[in-house]
Amino acid sequence: MRISARSFERGNVLLCVLCTILVVSIIGGNVLLNCMTRYNAAASQVRSWKESLDAAETGGDIAYAEVRKTILDPSHAFTGWNYTGGIYTNSSVTYGKDNLSTNARVDAFYYDTNGNPWYRIRTKGTAPVTGLKRVGMDDRMGPGTRGDSLLRKVDFNYDHFVATYGPNGDGLNKALVPVLQPQVTRRVELIAAPITPFEAAIKATGTFYGLGDAAMIDSYNSANGAYYFAANSPNDAHYVDSRSGNVEIASAVATIRGWVYGNVATNGGTIVRSQYITGTIDNNVPFTVPPFKMPTDFPTPQVSPTKVPGNSTVTITPPAAGTAQVPISYLFSSFTGHLVVNQYASSQTYVDIHVTSDITGTIDIAPNVRARIYFDGNVDLKARDIVNESGVASNLQFYGISPTDPSVSQSIAIGPPGNYAATFYAPSADFTLTGNPDITGAIVCKTFYGNGNTSWHYDRELDKEGDAVDYRIINYVEDVR
Amino acid sequence: MKLKTSQSIAGFTLGEMLVSLSLSSIVLAAAITSGVSLQKSFSAVDNYLTTHMQQIRIIDYLNRDVKRGLIVTTSVDLQTVTMSVPSYIIQSGDPEAVANPALVGTPRTPTIAYTSGGWQVNYTASPVTVVYSINGTSILRTENGVVTTIASSTDQLVPKSTDVELANTEYAKTSVTFMPIFTSNGSDASRTGTSLYSTAYLRNKRRG
Repeated sequence: MRISARSFERGNVLLCVLCTILVVSIIGGNVLLNCMTRYNAAASQVRSWKESLDAAETGGDIAYAEVRKTILDPSHAFTGWNYTGGIYTNSSVTYGKDNLSTNARVDAFYYDTNGNPWYRIRTKGTAPVTGLKRVGMDDRMGPGTRGDSLLRKVDFNYDHFVATYGPNGDGLNKALVPVLQPQVTRRVELIAAPITPFEAAIKATGTFYGLGDAAMIDSYNSANGAYYFAANSPNDAHYVDSRSGNVEIASAVATIRGWVYGNVATNGGTIVRSQYITGTIDNNVPFTVPPFKMPTDFPTPQVSPTKVPGNSTVTITPPAAGTAQVPISYLFSSFTGHLVVNQYASSQTYVDIHVTSDITGTIDIAPNVRARIYFDGNVDLKARDIVNESGVASNLQFYGISPTDPSVSQSIAIGPPGNYAATFYAPSADFTLTGNPDITGAIVCKTFYGNGNTSWHYDRELDKEGDAVDYRIINYVEDVR
Repeated sequence: MKLKTSQSIAGFTLGEMLVSLSLSSIVLAAAITSGVSLQKSFSAVDNYLTTHMQQIRIIDYLNRDVKRGLIVTTSVDLQTVTMSVPSYIIQSGDPEAVANPALVGTPRTPTIAYTSGGWQVNYTASPVTVVYSINGTSILRTENGVVTTIASSTDQLVPKSTDVELANTEYAKTSVTFMPIFTSNGSDASRTGTSLYSTAYLRNKRRG
C-alpha cells in the first residue's frame, strides 16, 4: 500500500488563529454572561421591589376612593367589599402587564369630637420577580452585611412575611405559604382624615376679589378667649393664634387687597401686594371642593314650625337638647321672617334646620345653641340680620346645598349695615360682601367678591368643627419588615 | 512494504521555523493580551454594575425612609441625612409592650391629637431617628443607634441629599456618584457621568 502525502501542510497557522479566536470569544462571552446575568437578576428584583410599592399604593387609592364615597356617594361606598369585625376588605385586584396585585383592609379606628370617623387603610402590593430564582448583586460588602436582601425581601419559595409575622402582621396565624413564583410584597398603612369645612378664613374655588385696601384678615382662637387684635404683638400670648387668617383660591384670577395675617394660596395667580401678606404665598396650589349634598342622616324634622313667614317672628324652643350627632331638626319651606332659636333648659342645644327656599329673613341664635342651617336656594341678608348671641362662629353654620344642575347658580349676598359671627359652606355659591362689617367666621364658596374695609377674624376652633366634607390622606407609613 | 517518502516534508528550514515561531508568538501574545484585557474589562464592568446597584440601593433606602418620614434635615456638606420616621412597630420596652408583652412586634394603632399645626397622627411621642452617613468607603444607615452598612465600595460612592421646604410640601433631592475604576485620568467627568438623581416627597402631614 502506498500512502500519499500532501506536499504542503500550512493550515496549522489558520487553525491556531481560529483556536485563538475561539478561546478569546469564549472568554468574552463569559464576561458578558457573568456580568449581565447577575445584573439582569438584580435589575429584575429592583423593578419588582418598586412595582410592589406601586401596587400597594394603588390598593391605597382604591380604598381611599371608597372612603371618599362615604361622604360624596354614601349609597355606593364599599360596595362589593366584605365587612367583618369592623373591617372592610376587598378581593385582590390584578392589573398591568406585569400582573401586579393588591388588596386592602379599611377600618374606622377613631372618631373625632364631631363624630367623623378616621379611617386606617392597610394595603398590600405584590409584584412577581421574573427570571430564574437567583440572588442578584447582593453580598458584596463583607461579613456581617446582607446588602440588597436586607432592603428587598424577595420571596423565592415562601411568603416570608406570613411565615414570620402572620398575614396581618400581628403575629397571628403564621403559616408557611408557598408562592407560585418569586415575588416581592410591600405593605403600607395610610390614615384618611376627615376634611372639615372651615380650614381657612376664605376658600374660593373660582375667582376672588377682595377685600378693601384698609381691610384685614386675621385669626384668634375662641377656646382661648374673646377676640382682640394680636397679630402685630409677637410677645402676646395669643399671637400664635393670630396669624392663621389664611386665604385659599383655586384660581389664577385673584385680586387680594388689605392685610392678610396668614397664608395665601392661588392656582397660578400672581400676588402683587405681597408686602401685606404676613404668611407664605404659594401660587401653585390647585384644589377642588366637591358639591355639597344634603346629609343623608338628617334627622326626622319636628312637626312644627314648618316656615318662617314674612313680617312675623317664629320662635323655636327645642323639645330636647339633642346632640352633635343627632340634633333637633326642622324643615322650613320658606324663610322670610324673623327666627329665634332658644336653648333647651340650661343644656347645650343642637338644632339643624333645612330651608328648601331662599333665606331673606333674620335669625337670632341664643347662647349655648349650635345651629346648622342647610339651604337649597339663595341667601340675601344684611349683616345685622345674623345675630349669633354667643359670638362664636361655629354656633351658627350655614350650608348651601349645591344645585343638582351645575348650570344653575347659587348666590349669597351680605350687605350693610352690621356685623356677624357665622360660617358659610357653599361651594357652589357666588358670595358677595358689601359694606365694612366686622366678621367672625369663615366661608367656602365658588367665587368671592368683597369691596369693603372688612375686619375678618377666623376662629381657629373652626378648623376642627363641622361634619366631614371629604377625606384626605395625612399619614403614610410602610411596614418594612 | 516500503514507504515512499517525500523530500518536501522532510523537515522545516530555519527560515520556516523562525517565521512560524514569530507568528505563534504574535498569536499567543494576542491571545494573552486579549484574555487579560477581557478579564480587566470583566472586572471593570462587573465593578461598575455592582457599584451602580449600590447607587440604586442607597437611593431606594433613602427614598423609602423619606416617604414615611416626618422631617428630613441634611448637614451643611450634604453628606449626612437625618430624619424622623414614625415608630410603627411596637418594640420591647414600649409602654404598650410593658402593659401587654404580646403586642411586641405588632403594628401600633396611632393616636390623634389637635395641635397648633392642626390635626396630627402620632404613632408614638418619640419617632424613630434614622441617620445616613459616610464612614470611609461605606455608607451607613443608623436607626435608633443600630448601624447597618447599606453600601460599600472602593469607588468613592458619594451620596448628597438636600431637603427642601415649601409650606407643607417637603422633599429630599439626592444624587449619588462614584468614580469608576477604569477611568483613565480620574477626571471629574468620569464621576459626573455616573450620577444618579432622585427626588422623594415626604407624605406625612405631621412635621417633626
